Amino acid sequence: MSQPAMINRYRWYELVGIYAGIFVFLAFILAPFVEGFSVSLKPLGLLFSSPYRFWPENGSFEAYRTMWVSVPGFARYIFNSFFISTIVTAVVLVLVVPSAYAFARFQFRGSGALLAAFLAVNMFSGAVLLIPLFRLMRSMGVLNTYFAMIVPGVAFLIPSAIWLLRTYMMRIPRELDEAAFVDGASHFYTLRRVILPIAMPGITVVAITTFIGSYAQQFIFALTFNSKTEYMPLPIGLYAYFGRQEVIWNELMAASFVGIAPAVILIFLMQRYLVAGLTAGAVKQ
Amino acid sequence: MGQLKLSKVQKFYGTYEVLKGIELEVQNGEFVVFVGPSGCGKSTLLRMIAGLDETTAGDIVIDGKRVNDLPPVKRGIAMVFQSYALYPHMSVFENIAFPLRVEKMPEDKLKARVEHAARILHLDQRLQQKPGMLSGGQRQRVAIGRAIVREPKIFLFDEPLSNLDAALRADMRIELAKLHRQLKATMIYVTHDQVEAMTMADRIVVLNAGEIAQTGAPLELYHKPANVFVAGFIGHPKMNFLPVVCTGVNDAGVEVDYRGHTARIPVVPRGSMAGRTLTLGVRPEHVQTGAADLTLTVTPSVIERLGAHTVAYASLGGEGENYCAMLPGNIAIRADQQVLTGIRAGDCHLFDENGTAFERRVKMTDLDMSLFDPAVA
Repeated sequence: MSQPAMINRYRWYELVGIYAGIFVFLAFILAPFVEGFSVSLKPLGLLFSSPYRFWPENGSFEAYRTMWVSVPGFARYIFNSFFISTIVTAVVLVLVVPSAYAFARFQFRGSGALLAAFLAVNMFSGAVLLIPLFRLMRSMGVLNTYFAMIVPGVAFLIPSAIWLLRTYMMRIPRELDEAAFVDGASHFYTLRRVILPIAMPGITVVAITTFIGSYAQQFIFALTFNSKTEYMPLPIGLYAYFGRQEVIWNELMAASFVGIAPAVILIFLMQRYLVAGLTAGAVKQ
Repeated sequence: MGQLKLSKVQKFYGTYEVLKGIELEVQNGEFVVFVGPSGCGKSTLLRMIAGLDETTAGDIVIDGKRVNDLPPVKRGIAMVFQSYALYPHMSVFENIAFPLRVEKMPEDKLKARVEHAARILHLDQRLQQKPGMLSGGQRQRVAIGRAIVREPKIFLFDEPLSNLDAALRADMRIELAKLHRQLKATMIYVTHDQVEAMTMADRIVVLNAGEIAQTGAPLELYHKPANVFVAGFIGHPKMNFLPVVCTGVNDAGVEVDYRGHTARIPVVPRGSMAGRTLTLGVRPEHVQTGAADLTLTVTPSVIERLGAHTVAYASLGGEGENYCAMLPGNIAIRADQQVLTGIRAGDCHLFDENGTAFERRVKMTDLDMSLFDPAVA
């Protein structure tokens, strides 16, 4: 009885192939993290000792303490990163939820063209547009502010967020909107009371991808639009460990892990809302 | 009050005419069923009455007021959808209360209304549950509850039972009929299931390709279908149609010839009849074994034994026209063995070349009039 269903039965060599494939790709993803973590445990002097040793000799968490000392502003950088990403995510959600609903439900002139344009914008990475953006920011006089890092971040994350959420909302049965409309609800009331709660898993996915996207793109925007130390986000802040003479590798690695910890915790908490089957019982499927 | 009047109602999708000038009046308290094959426009018509679809031309009038441009909620209608359309994240109570919350009704009044609706629908024990925990029949009752609390003038049902299994459908049919008697509200009900139409309706509107084929009480449609379409649509198995030639008219009716067999059909003639090719219709349940006014020898190819009935299918003359007979359950017939079948002339229907029926001389008073008159029922 405990045998898997017929469709899930494999021969031994198929299993070997599957696991070998999994191992190869997993190794590429995880090896940098493992190596980074082991570096963070090693004393700086022993980093480049040969022969190479995977297990750190005299390994300790010393670097996790000294990193705060050698770069005193580091906590601020973590906060900046977190702050920028949170604001970006919040703004994106506020803008994207109603517009995704509109794109999913209403037919209006140019909706197809707009969606295609969003996709096209995604093909330019922010890097291509850095110089024009820089000039724009300079003439607006907003260089070296949080604003300069948040607004382009929002702008570049909106298109994919709309696509993602629109697809999710299109799966919500239209009858729910119609039933609410027949009962006298306005579009905003329907969105708030009916669509939002049902779309919560989709919104969570959008929030997580936006947050991560914002974390990732901070580097390039912060590097170009900001030169003030107190506004530096984490990726730029890590440069502080690059000394004139040497790079403090073990502290740099420790700082990287500490820096992404808040984001990891937040995402871990958010995934609670990723409940499948929330629409159970809405309509007969 | 819940009076509905449709005059010259048209609907176009682009240049395609879905509804071709519908004229209909529905009285207060009537249970009217729209029935027809898929694509005939019955659901579109209902959605237009609801205000979900635009009306291209014509007037929709509820209680003397033209409502074409009013949103659903201002029309005094409530609608029950085929797919229930319940809000999955809300409890049964909140689902039913939804229209009242939109109205911002005070909490105590709202609670009383919801509980009243729940009692009618036997949902009082389930108010705190989510729709996902309910069975199909219960979900549909919640959807009906959401319609009841608004106390609308007209209820609109869009194939509400077609997602339920057969046994549950029969139960819900009875419950809906009871509900109609209890609420005394006007109800308009769309279905493609003629059993639902026949059992629940005060009046049936048969739609075909965007036009009303016939309007009438269930048994009126059964006994006096106005045309070939209605004759074929109402009744199961489908009515048999035989091509006949008219040979003459006399006091007793119209004399027709089917391959050398003649019969005198008691219908009212129209114009000159002799020599015309007509269509003779006879329901399978009116075919019997043994000789009668029109006797045909057939060889059934398939026999279905349903217990109460035996349905025999034969083909006549190999022209692809099927001949079906519904015979008693215990009849001794076999596939591929000849059997003598007879049709009484009084049971026959006669249609002209355009499919329009000649009026049958059946006395409707032979039938129980209470079945026709909603006021008596």
